[in-house]
Amino acid sequence: MRTRTPPGLQVLRTVVIADDESSMRLLVHATIESDDYCVVEAADGAEAWAMVQKHRPALVLLDVQMPGRSGLEVLGLIKADPSLAATRVILLTAKAQETDIESGLIAGADFYLTKPFSPLDLLTRVEEALQL
Amino acid sequence: MVVQQRERELRRGPPGRPGWSLRSYMALFMAVLLGVAALAAFAVRTMAETDARQSAGADASFASQRAAQQLKAGFDQIAAVSGPLASDPSMPIVFADPSKCHFGYAPIGAFATGHIDLVRLDGSVVCSSRKSPDTTSRIYEGQAWLLTPQPVVVAPTKDPVTGNQVVVVSYPVPGRGALAWFLDLAPIGPKLASEFGSGVHQLEFLVTTGDGKTVVSRSIDPAHWIGRNASGFVSGSAAASQPDVNGTQRIYGRSTIDPAGWRVYVGADEAAALSAADQLSNRSLAIIVGGVGVMLVVAFVVYRRIAEPVRQLSLVMRGSTSGDAVRAVAETGAAEVTSLAWDFDRLVATLKRELADRLSSEQKAVLSERNYRQLFDGHPQPMWLYDVNTLAFLEVNGAAVDRYGYSRDEFLAMTIKDIRPPQDLPKFLELTANPQPEFDKTGPWRHLLKDGSTVQVLITSHATAFAGHEARFVLAEDLTESQQLELELHQSQARAEANAELNRAKDEMMSMVSHEMRTPLASIVGFAELLVTRKVTPELRTEYLGVMLQEGRRLTALINDFLDLRRIEGGHMTMRFAPGDINALIKRAVALIGNPAGISIETRLADEMPLVRVDGDSIFRVVSNLLSNARKYSPDGGTIVVGAGVVADMVEVYVQDHGLGIPTDALPKVFGRFYRVESPDRIGIKGTGLGLSICKNIVEAHGGTISVGSDGLGKGACFTFTVPFAREANQTGDVLVVEDDSGFAHLLEAELTASGLSSIWAADAESAERLMIKNKARAVVLDLLLPGLSGEDFLRRMRATHGSRIPVVVVTQKDIDPAESLVLHKLGVSAVLRKGPGMAETAANMIAKSLAAQLVAS
Repeated sequence: MRTRTPPGLQVLRTVVIADDESSMRLLVHATIESDDYCVVEAADGAEAWAMVQKHRPALVLLDVQMPGRSGLEVLGLIKADPSLAATRVILLTAKAQETDIESGLIAGADFYLTKPFSPLDLLTRVEEALQL
Repeated sequence: MVVQQRERELRRGPPGRPGWSLRSYMALFMAVLLGVAALAAFAVRTMAETDARQSAGADASFASQRAAQQLKAGFDQIAAVSGPLASDPSMPIVFADPSKCHFGYAPIGAFATGHIDLVRLDGSVVCSSRKSPDTTSRIYEGQAWLLTPQPVVVAPTKDPVTGNQVVVVSYPVPGRGALAWFLDLAPIGPKLASEFGSGVHQLEFLVTTGDGKTVVSRSIDPAHWIGRNASGFVSGSAAASQPDVNGTQRIYGRSTIDPAGWRVYVGADEAAALSAADQLSNRSLAIIVGGVGVMLVVAFVVYRRIAEPVRQLSLVMRGSTSGDAVRAVAETGAAEVTSLAWDFDRLVATLKRELADRLSSEQKAVLSERNYRQLFDGHPQPMWLYDVNTLAFLEVNGAAVDRYGYSRDEFLAMTIKDIRPPQDLPKFLELTANPQPEFDKTGPWRHLLKDGSTVQVLITSHATAFAGHEARFVLAEDLTESQQLELELHQSQARAEANAELNRAKDEMMSMVSHEMRTPLASIVGFAELLVTRKVTPELRTEYLGVMLQEGRRLTALINDFLDLRRIEGGHMTMRFAPGDINALIKRAVALIGNPAGISIETRLADEMPLVRVDGDSIFRVVSNLLSNARKYSPDGGTIVVGAGVVADMVEVYVQDHGLGIPTDALPKVFGRFYRVESPDRIGIKGTGLGLSICKNIVEAHGGTISVGSDGLGKGACFTFTVPFAREANQTGDVLVVEDDSGFAHLLEAELTASGLSSIWAADAESAERLMIKNKARAVVLDLLLPGLSGEDFLRRMRATHGSRIPVVVVTQKDIDPAESLVLHKLGVSAVLRKGPGMAETAANMIAKSLAAQLVAS
């Protein structure tokens, strides 16, 4: 677990970033860094699910293609857990085909961004999801 | 023919000496049975007599013992009573007052009757067990037993009172008289006989005195015999046969009784015993005779129901007939024989049918061979058979002779290679070198006719056996115009399909590539946008730019790898093979990797490695890639071993690391495009997933193989590839071209060939050195900028080992300063040319001139 926002701010909501590429985590983290919520990172699907269970985040930014559990699997786990009903999910993927987008949205993702994406666009989506 | 012979053999009966018939066995069995019965009868008779004697003797002995025991028991009882009584202190009182005396007699054992008297010394009776005895007269006066001071037994003697023959047992009462028992002798014999003599042997009981001379008692007519002389009846042995006192022959047993010393003889009637034995043995004989009779009947039935039917069946079989004869056998035989008979009947019927079938199929075979011959010879299309191993013609038909113009004999002297135009031979030999399918349709082929012209034919062939050869049958079909068109259409269809397949593969690849490119692109674009739209601190700015640079490089590598792969896979990348020194290539790759932190690289290179046939740059790339992977996947450091050696007729190179390893299920996939092992321990290790795919393509383009082994995660991995030996290394060339730019090297080679000079190419100085030793080139064209050892160093060493006579022309891209130029001239370089258009031709001409001048000079 890597956190950039100081811990101990339990009142703040949490956002989980899950991507196996460190450069992508850095980019997303830098993009959405805010005092309004706390950001944690996970480097693969299993770690992402562990983070979700631990922090009960308001939002998860999930890379679809990850070693271990894929982003779609983690999404399925989140959607299957009633206690995580309030958790929003935005998928990030290098897959650009329509079928992939559809399957992601059917699985319950709130939004879907295709790499490469605009960081400002991402930020907008994140703020929308968190209703800031 | 064969079948008829076989039939005759069958009719002759079984070969060799026949065994015994069942009838003989039965006769032998009966003879043995009768013999055994006779022996048994004889044994029964003899043994019965002996047994009877023994049995009678044993019976007599036993009875005598029992009788003696009983008599003795009587005496003992008398003694037990009398001894104490005679010496009893009350005796004087009894003598004084006879009224105090009360005697009674009860039978004691065999002594059924008798009396007891208390007698005074004067012979008068004090008291007696008799009723109303005479106590006044001196009845026993003067009796010997009365005067004896010891207890005494006297027998036989006459009882003065009763007049009976008795045994007197007397116990003296000191100074007064005696206690005397008078025991009647006559009842003893019958009593013993009634008690112990019941049974078959009609036992006679004879009791004598101790000397055996006087009869004491006898079971037969005792009154007559008691007291008579029995002398002459002295039996020594326990059981012996002798006449009794009446003269009847008896078998005797004898016992002696203490204290009287009497003898008890018991005799069994010998005649009676023997007659009983006779009866017994007669019964046994009757049983034996009856048994033999029964066996005879059984044997007869067996013979009638089995042996005879089998014999008849055998006769029928020899006659090979069936039907009624079999039925006759079947009616008389046992169930098994009947079933055998019917089975035989069926067998005969089947055999007859098969025989008929075979005869007709033999005839058919002859006929069909003739038909096939006609079909083959008369078929309008050329046909032939050839030996698969020698390719020689084995048989041709008339159409082939007509069409091709060769006579049949000419054909049979040729191989199928001879009817192909020479330019088609490689393709043809490639076809025949591989195992052909059972049935094959190939073509079109060009066939050479005898007149030198060629025809286009389609070949239909199938594997067959002909006259002991492994052969193929061939039908050659002239290609008609329509068939040609059809064929072309077919080929273009196949091409279209292949193209479609290629396009599909391309599409798939494009989708994979675009996917792989998106991640680095996302970083570059994303960070760029952040930098443009946000105000960031200088530190963050540097960090973002760093990531952008790194991702940009990754994208570049990806594109390069991808393009390389496309080139190699598409066959667009031409490999330029030259004899190369694998050790030099490996050393260069190791040098390129340098000394990464925590990693030690160990090289294990065999000396005296043969030169390999390689595209130096490509193989260098393979080794570098494998080394780079080994380093990348050893995040915790460790030793990397890179080695090379000769395995069979290839050189094998391996790179072994002790890093993260590869899971077994991933091993077959690692050479696939864009495949990367996914496990948590290698997150953050960058790669395009194309490197190994490129390596595999390069190695395979060399005719080698690449493989990987790993004991699993954390156990390291070992990549191994092979490259073939260089055959050119053994050829000689006039000119050695030392040039790492393969394109320019080929240009030079072409120009040298045009000048009438052969050449041999080395892509680096190390390989060139080894070629010089092997090939003795007469001239050298040298590039100065070489991947390993420099051109100048090579030249220096060559001059040292091969002298200064070899002309050398330097062609290089390098700027040569005057000092360098001087050095080169001192090293005997004829000319230094700068690479550019036309320079290859110039260099070739210069070399040609130098060699010509040398020739003139010598």
